[in-house]
Amino acid sequence: MNLAGFCSLLPEALVIALMFVVFAADLFLPSIKKRLGGLTAWGLTAILACLLWQGFLAGGQKFGETFQGTFLCDPMALFFKALFILTGIIVVILAREFLKKADKNPGEFYLLILSALLGMLFLASANDFILLFVSVELVTVSFYVMTAYLKTDQRSVEAGIKYLILGALSSGMMLYGISFIYGHTGSTHFDAVRGALFGMTSAPPLLLLGILLLIAGLGFKAGAVPFQLWIPDVYEGAPIPVTAFLSVGSKMAGFAALLRICVSVIAPFDKKWALLMAVIAAMTLVYGNLGAIPQKNIKRFFGYSGIGHAGYLLTAIAAGGFSGARGVLFYLLSYAVTMLAAFLVVVYCSVHLESDDMSAYDGLSRRSPLLAGALFLSLLSLAGVPPLSGFFAKFLVLSSAVEKGLIWLAVLGALNVVISLYYYLTLVKRMYIHPPAGGVIAVPLSFQIPLYLLMLGIVGIGVVQGPFVRLAASAVSGFF
Amino acid sequence: MITLNHYLILSGCLFAIGMYGIITRRNALLILLSVELLFNAANLSFVAYARYLGDLTGQVFVFFTMVVAACEVAIGLAVAILLFRTRETLNTDEINTLKW
Repeated sequence: MNLAGFCSLLPEALVIALMFVVFAADLFLPSIKKRLGGLTAWGLTAILACLLWQGFLAGGQKFGETFQGTFLCDPMALFFKALFILTGIIVVILAREFLKKADKNPGEFYLLILSALLGMLFLASANDFILLFVSVELVTVSFYVMTAYLKTDQRSVEAGIKYLILGALSSGMMLYGISFIYGHTGSTHFDAVRGALFGMTSAPPLLLLGILLLIAGLGFKAGAVPFQLWIPDVYEGAPIPVTAFLSVGSKMAGFAALLRICVSVIAPFDKKWALLMAVIAAMTLVYGNLGAIPQKNIKRFFGYSGIGHAGYLLTAIAAGGFSGARGVLFYLLSYAVTMLAAFLVVVYCSVHLESDDMSAYDGLSRRSPLLAGALFLSLLSLAGVPPLSGFFAKFLVLSSAVEKGLIWLAVLGALNVVISLYYYLTLVKRMYIHPPAGGVIAVPLSFQIPLYLLMLGIVGIGVVQGPFVRLAASAVSGFF
Repeated sequence: MITLNHYLILSGCLFAIGMYGIITRRNALLILLSVELLFNAANLSFVAYARYLGDLTGQVFVFFTMVVAACEVAIGLAVAILLFRTRETLNTDEINTLKW
């Protein structure tokens, strides 16, 4: 591996180094234990800076590749990695708040967050089915442990075993699918597989079955119907920072892999998949948005609403082509920023009110105007109200569907905006109209700063879309 | 003469048995066992294709799969132990605290 190859691996190498530092500090320096969260968060911020420097040097070109081309550091990978690390930083902040109350050893929790993050970073760069499979598994296995982290809590353990069984099932399906793709194309490398697919006049049925199983396995991570059954239960049972990480990080990882498979591997067959993807997208949209309406638990609520958002992302994937891929990236950027802001509020409330019930949010606007305002803003953005970022993201996605002639899907997407507005506003009503359920909640500065920054992001990305759309466009333009 | 198709049919049978086990079994340990059958079905198919194509990638992939499967089982058994400690049962029908 030469120097250029190592430079393309730099963020991953630094995350591994940070893992060692956290591990060693946890083991040998008991005095630093209380400050491990801060250490991890600042370490990740430095890694994010390093990644942005990589992106700056690359300037829209491929930055480099290593391990015989199986690890590819292209603009799309850099875009996803920046989002993953941003998610990692916020999740560490959330975990710190959570671990203050739960009397647990914090070091191992941060290590698990970092190992899941490492898997996501490799996943974004994977250009070979072996690396894809191993990094997907690194992400999921870390999540199994994090989900069942509260060892004496029945719900956490139950969520863990449910996630584990369904996750292992989906990995098995994905692996079986990859074996057929390998058998019929003679390679596991994405470029070679695409080349072989281009050369085929008609696809053998086993190869189609393989691609179907692969999409099913990744659809599980992304939360697409009919592989969404685990989401509400696991989200509810898992410790709440893990719920946040699952709903932002793990979902983005699923879409990063799905998008790369769609644009760079099965692109020769995209006509065959468009209709299947469109039907899955439609089912996901309707299921998620209708399911969210009767929810009383805030974690389940965000679980269902996350399924609804997966429906919009699948709409863009079904539309395909340049505008679809650009829509996916911009939507994920907006989704990550908005959802992280919402979870900052939700985790803080859940830890300090000791309840995940939506009734705990009654009169939040008078108990803490900042928390209520931030949640209000992110809910509006999630619903797609202009001029916030969520509106423009939905606009890009739906217009890409119209462009490809999927008018019915775009209409369905627009109808679902109305449904989602209804259930998001019921929570807003609780916060602003219902009488308060308790006294004032104080928010420390270490929580206010990320909250203000993310709120700025929600408004900023929505008002000044130009640079962000160009960024998303330059990240995918290499494929078309 | 045993051809590629024989191996593929065998691996298909293994996959089907594993899937059947996951759907019908009610004991968490037996479900984990069935999941292993899925992985082994995929392994068999990889090795058969690798032999048929005269290419080593498939064989290498199986090594990675075995490591990953071992991790999954290690975590799976650990969670199963926690499950038994918190509720004294491994019957998946009784694990129903979380539902809508």
